[in-house]
Amino acid sequence: MNCDNYQILLSDLVDGALTAEDCSRVELHLTSCPDCADARNDLRVIVDFCHEQRGQYDSVPNERAMWLRISNLIEAENSSPLQAPREAGWWFRLMNRSWQLSFPQLAGLVSAIVLVVAMATAFSVYHLSPTASPQLAAFVPAPGGSTIEDRYRQQQQMISYWNQRVELNKARWNPQMRETFDRNMSVIDAAVTDSMKQLSQNPHDSVSEDILNDALSDKVALLKEFSDL
Amino acid sequence: MKLFSSDTRKPVTILSAVFSILIIAAASSIALAQQKVSRRFPAGKNVRFELKNIAGTITVETWQRDEIRVTATMDNRKATFNPRQTETGLVIDIVGDNRGRGDVGDMNFKIELPARSSVDLETRSGQINVSNVQGDLVRAHIWTSGDIQLLGVNASRVFASNTSGDIFFDGEFASGGTYEFKSGRGTITLQLPASCGFHLVATAPVKKISMGPFWDDSKMKLMGEGRRITGDVGDGRASVTVTNYQGDIKFVRR
Repeated sequence: MNCDNYQILLSDLVDGALTAEDCSRVELHLTSCPDCADARNDLRVIVDFCHEQRGQYDSVPNERAMWLRISNLIEAENSSPLQAPREAGWWFRLMNRSWQLSFPQLAGLVSAIVLVVAMATAFSVYHLSPTASPQLAAFVPAPGGSTIEDRYRQQQQMISYWNQRVELNKARWNPQMRETFDRNMSVIDAAVTDSMKQLSQNPHDSVSEDILNDALSDKVALLKEFSDL
Repeated sequence: MKLFSSDTRKPVTILSAVFSILIIAAASSIALAQQKVSRRFPAGKNVRFELKNIAGTITVETWQRDEIRVTATMDNRKATFNPRQTETGLVIDIVGDNRGRGDVGDMNFKIELPARSSVDLETRSGQINVSNVQGDLVRAHIWTSGDIQLLGVNASRVFASNTSGDIFFDGEFASGGTYEFKSGRGTITLQLPASCGFHLVATAPVKKISMGPFWDDSKMKLMGEGRRITGDVGDGRASVTVTNYQGDIKFVRR
């Protein structure tokens, strides 16, 4: 056994609860191990002290009453508002303030937040967009929330990606396939150009808007289909 | 006087014989290069047939038997097709089957199947002809050029689209059904019985929409200077969407 195991048995040794065999074995170890012997001595002092002072730490006369007093004190401290020290800063005061709002106050606060967010979004869309195309600048927001300009830009990114993939594979196609693909792509491009032209003249033209969306989707789909040919 | 000496005539005869042999050899080599395969598959009444082709003509016809017969004519001997039977029907994916084989040329298909089948057909280029199909779905899509002809079709969902080429539909619109026709350039013609009822959204921004006898002043309206027509024909229970980027749309009474 090592020291840890012997020290576990020290409490029983001091209490006289060990068997004779265990007792003699622990005592033998203690004669050769000063650390364990010190631990035994400390423990014995504590136990002896407790035995000598027995009776002086009996329970209080009215234990329940004492706990009630303690409980009342804790509740009283919790319910009283936290008083900020005079020297505390505005942030400390703000964070430690009680934020109980009435319903009209809450509604007003929510409305104010919504208004600020909407204004910030509108400002960033109309003034901070670096790639805004002048041709599409006058377009109205689409029913889905995003503007046609946004959707056009997203579609153009996709078209550019798939176009690169198609161009990589195009050399492997037979001439007839290349000619067919180019001819049909020009049909879709013509639809895109026509609807863009219409929209630049009349930004509220829903027919041209639908055709533009359809044609751009068709173009992406066609490029995707031919990208792995 | 002798116009032709025997010495002159002999090389001409030999030359013409050589040409004939060459022509026959070329014709027979083309015939030999073409490969024709026919296969039959058992099918229930409401089977679903799917075909994704690369190039060539797809013809779908109906018959009385509870089976599907696929006849494929392939231009190129290295082309292959592996029909796959599923729980619902039969799938042929020529694009997948021939991936990595390079140019496999045209593959023409003739499909015979039960009338109450659904068909989903797609090709990158070529024609699609469907006759007398009366299942739940008829879908015909040509990615680039090719005509689509749907004759005697009575399905509750029909989708036909191409980029260039004509689309001709002759059939009926089922109450509650959905029908979509879309072309980039070409004429879309819908030939319908006088009694059919549908809600229409037809858009042709460049050319003309001709409603023919189906125009109804009280139920239909023009939008965008006549580039779009919306409204009901009859009871308006089927939903019909027709879009043609650069071609005409015509409605014709059967």
